[in-house]
Amino acid sequence: MSALIRITRAGPMATIQDSGRFGALHHGISASGPMDRGAFERAGAAIANPGPEGIEFTRAGLAFTVAEGHFRARGEGGAFSLSVNGSPRDWPADLGLGAGDTIDITPGPAGNYGYLRFDHTIDVPIVIGSRATNLVAGLGGLDGRALKRGDSIVLTPVAGRGEVSVVPPAHRLVEDGPIRFVWGLHADLFAPPVRQAFLDANFVVSTRLDRMGVRLDDPSGVFAGAPILSLVSDAIVPGDMQILGDGTPIVLMRDHQPTGGYPRIATVITADLDRFAQMRPGTALAFAPVTLHKARTLYLASLRA
Amino acid sequence: MAEAEAFPPPLILPLGDRSLLVRFGTTLSDEANRAAIAFGRRLGNRLPDGVSEIDPNLVSVLLKYDPERTDFDRLAGEVRLLAGALQPVDEALAATHRISVRFGGEGGPDLEAAAAALRMTPEAFIATHNALPLRVLTIGFAPGFAYCGFHPDVFRLPRRTEVRPPVPPGSVLFAAGQTAITSTSIPTGWHVIGRTDFRNFDPASDPPTTLREGDTVIFEAAEP
Repeated sequence: MSALIRITRAGPMATIQDSGRFGALHHGISASGPMDRGAFERAGAAIANPGPEGIEFTRAGLAFTVAEGHFRARGEGGAFSLSVNGSPRDWPADLGLGAGDTIDITPGPAGNYGYLRFDHTIDVPIVIGSRATNLVAGLGGLDGRALKRGDSIVLTPVAGRGEVSVVPPAHRLVEDGPIRFVWGLHADLFAPPVRQAFLDANFVVSTRLDRMGVRLDDPSGVFAGAPILSLVSDAIVPGDMQILGDGTPIVLMRDHQPTGGYPRIATVITADLDRFAQMRPGTALAFAPVTLHKARTLYLASLRA
Repeated sequence: MAEAEAFPPPLILPLGDRSLLVRFGTTLSDEANRAAIAFGRRLGNRLPDGVSEIDPNLVSVLLKYDPERTDFDRLAGEVRLLAGALQPVDEALAATHRISVRFGGEGGPDLEAAAAALRMTPEAFIATHNALPLRVLTIGFAPGFAYCGFHPDVFRLPRRTEVRPPVPPGSVLFAAGQTAITSTSIPTGWHVIGRTDFRNFDPASDPPTTLREGDTVIFEAAEP
């Protein structure tokens, strides 16, 4: 049986996501997908017969009412506050919801992104192989845009009977240690003293962050005098840290442009990208290089965590 | 002999921990672009184990791989062998697209300035622009965004110093020896010289883009 929910409050940039729109780079479209991939997958693993999509919401949270039907949902990611019909509930959350229920997710102590997955499919069109919203290209999800108050979302049942996976433990939200990277495509174009200063410095997550990229404040001015280079546009991957012409470092995220011409000093490793995405504005961080081998080992370990 | 014409071997670089970049140059040259197109075509029919997606760019080809199925060293070894004795794609066999453009006017606000910068009349600019067929260098940057090149050296301008607010889909852009066609609304620092009804992106079509790197594009002035 289908279900219907109505969004009564949506923070900025709440979107419908699936694992991503892979295979479309050669059409000029990056993959999108969840900013905290691990949290998105944990939410799915906690549900029997999860639909492949979920709702990604941002710090301000999300509120909705169930207009029709019933379904199960799992909330994961960040540390949000949750109430159902006015009663506080734990987060992460397992929810059995039915018509008339009101769900209110409000800001909690940590994290930028939270997820709701369902034992239903989110009934929006598949666009180029995916239902993921790409806000930059205006594709997928609900009309290629962020969710807003008044939106109705139809959930349709997922066929088959599934088992609930063992839910891997949540990442510690305040994990110590630098964000690890492999040296970037243009690292050799940065002078050795700049590369060393990059390793020694602390950066701060700025307020300018979205699904496309996270700008960092650079209080010690590591990149203040970096030369403006004219580079041929080349492929970008999530985690690439590019240095804009004015010296601003920006880590490119899931809705990145497929190609870019700013110099890139580093690429955040896959195993640390979720943790980075959840860092709120004002968070201080440092970066540390690892080998490709180490990056791969950490990634494979994260899959088995 | 054919082997003597083969492209020089590329640089094989990691890009993050799940992509490999096969780079044929660090500047945008005709040879590097033709090599990237040729390598993309060669890979297109037989992706190495563990590779999920390839993306030919202006002077490189990106290979995305699954670290559970392969690793950089192994893939780099396979790619090195695959990139050997790489021959140009036969351009005589390329698909040809005729694209009609309304130059100047509301849709091409920079035509006159671009022509003046080249010490040409707008009419001479249009004639020179359309005189030779161009190659689709790559599709990228934005959905369906098509880079076409190359114009002769005497017909080159750098980008504008200021970025224009978003221009509509179908805008025809000119800079750095290239002509580009937008398919979505995007800001641009290129000279906006005209507008076409051609759209290189339709999310409802399969495939969603019409032009492919290596295709031939002939620009024509729309009948007034």
